[in-house]
Amino acid sequence: MFGRHYSKHLSAYAHGELSSEETARVAAHLDACAACRTEFEEVRLGIRLAESLPSAKAPASLWEGIEAALVEEGSRERRRGSQTQPLVPSRRRVFAPAFAALLVALAAGGAWLYLRAQRPGWEVARVEGSPRVSSTLINDRGRLRVGEWLETDAASRAEIAVANIGQVEVEPNTRVRLVETRLTEHRLELQRGTLHARIWAPPRLFFVNTPSAVAADLGCAYTIEVDDEGRGLLHVTSGYVALETEARESIVPAGAACLTQPGAGPGTPFFEDAPEALVKALARFDFENDRAALDAVLDGARARDTLTLWHLLSRVPADDRGRVYERLAALAPPPAGVTREGVIGLDRAMLDAWKDGLDKDWLSWGESMPAVRRVWRKLWR
Amino acid sequence: MRAASVYWAEVRAEERMESVVLMGEEARGEAVIEACKLGDRDAFRRLFERHKDRVYSVALYFFGGDEATAADVTQQVFLKLFTRIGQFQGEAEFTTWLYRLTTNACVDEQRKRRRVQQFGEGFELSEPRERRTQEESVARAEVRRSVERAVAALKPKLRVVMLLKYFEEMSYEEIAGVLGLSKGTVASRLNRGHKALARKLGHLRGELVRDEREG
Repeated sequence: MFGRHYSKHLSAYAHGELSSEETARVAAHLDACAACRTEFEEVRLGIRLAESLPSAKAPASLWEGIEAALVEEGSRERRRGSQTQPLVPSRRRVFAPAFAALLVALAAGGAWLYLRAQRPGWEVARVEGSPRVSSTLINDRGRLRVGEWLETDAASRAEIAVANIGQVEVEPNTRVRLVETRLTEHRLELQRGTLHARIWAPPRLFFVNTPSAVAADLGCAYTIEVDDEGRGLLHVTSGYVALETEARESIVPAGAACLTQPGAGPGTPFFEDAPEALVKALARFDFENDRAALDAVLDGARARDTLTLWHLLSRVPADDRGRVYERLAALAPPPAGVTREGVIGLDRAMLDAWKDGLDKDWLSWGESMPAVRRVWRKLWR
Repeated sequence: MRAASVYWAEVRAEERMESVVLMGEEARGEAVIEACKLGDRDAFRRLFERHKDRVYSVALYFFGGDEATAADVTQQVFLKLFTRIGQFQGEAEFTTWLYRLTTNACVDEQRKRRRVQQFGEGFELSEPRERRTQEESVARAEVRRSVERAVAALKPKLRVVMLLKYFEEMSYEEIAGVLGLSKGTVASRLNRGHKALARKLGHLRGELVRDEREG
């Protein structure tokens, strides 16, 4: 394969870029050929010299120049987009004001269209019926840009590609808006209807705003429904979702669900196979300020309902907290270092330590159960 | 005790920052590129931070240590990258595309300069500030300056291949992909580059060995 000598291949040999047969042949030749050995030493010296050059650090100020140039480029594009042509003939001066007004309107419209087209967006595919983006029917494929609404009627369904991190199926009678799409945050607003989300990104990149809480993906699949009054139900089928407001957060694992209501925020999460009496009592406690309902929740709680009881610790009035603690401790004793006094005093580290011991069980439980939908409908409708 | 909302807000902020970092290297790279295509300025910044030193190093040594030119070329490369990223279809490895832009920008800049000076002659070498440290021995600095000069004096086609090999740590195949050459041509050019350096700087062999021994 090689000629008589191997001088052209000595760098590739030194860098390990030859096949094993070629390597063996060059090695054997170097053993036998003093001229090639001398040349190989030369190549090796060249390699060592080249390797002695250190990598340089780019000046910190470089980005400012790039950013300024990007801003300037954006302005130039916008100026180009809004430039008008001198189309009005002088002999028609009488129509000039009307033409000017028309051109201004056209330019403004053009600029608006241009700016709208520059906004980031996601691909939308029609699954059936006639989904609309910003009131415009989409064909088989369309684009949902930041700020735009996607709407489905009773006979329509659509699918959204969430950047490159997941998919959202949009059920009939749904109204959803793309709020933000950035590297560190992708956010939809669900005004009404049903979404099924499957996200394969790390936690807290994808969010769904609802009228009463935000669903934060923690690496999962879930369904979220919002009714005409803005009340919602989150139903998790894989991983975890956090349903949260500024004041309150519910951690909802696979197999569990959580109700949410305007003015109250997310309720207490529960496993979907929880007794109906417990779920109803929980709803009265969460949304109707019925303290007496707590008794029914505590009485009905099973081993797996530690999910519900742990959340209740920080939601019940202080004088009820002891009862919740006792029930939770009876079902799952607290780990070492977690004391009754600490938990009653809502010591964050102790609550977290207890939760850490429990959430392995939470995740292992719970395949999705259709019962929750029936309960939800009874509760809200 | 902190309020629950403050606690969760802190956790959220930390987790959000960590989330992109926790992605696999490849997935993270793809996510950043996709976000750039969507016009995400944070993603541009992230991409810049990730590649800036290597692009700058190639430009710096291509122009014999001329920091101002290296900075100009680096800016040109990233501006081109950001304005054309929509054209990147992913069919080519991103780094291949980036370093094609880099080598083209270097060669274009060199062509412009040829109008006012003969390339490879009379280069005023300046040592990058970051690399000049008090601790660095005078002898070691001298070796580096000599290597910089020798690299700068190589023919551009040899120099580009050497820089991609030693600053981008590319394989022969990757270099061939960036420059549109065969793997054999890359091997041959590297061979010529190494020999040229060795012939020019053979007197530094002892210094280099001593340097390596001292670590």
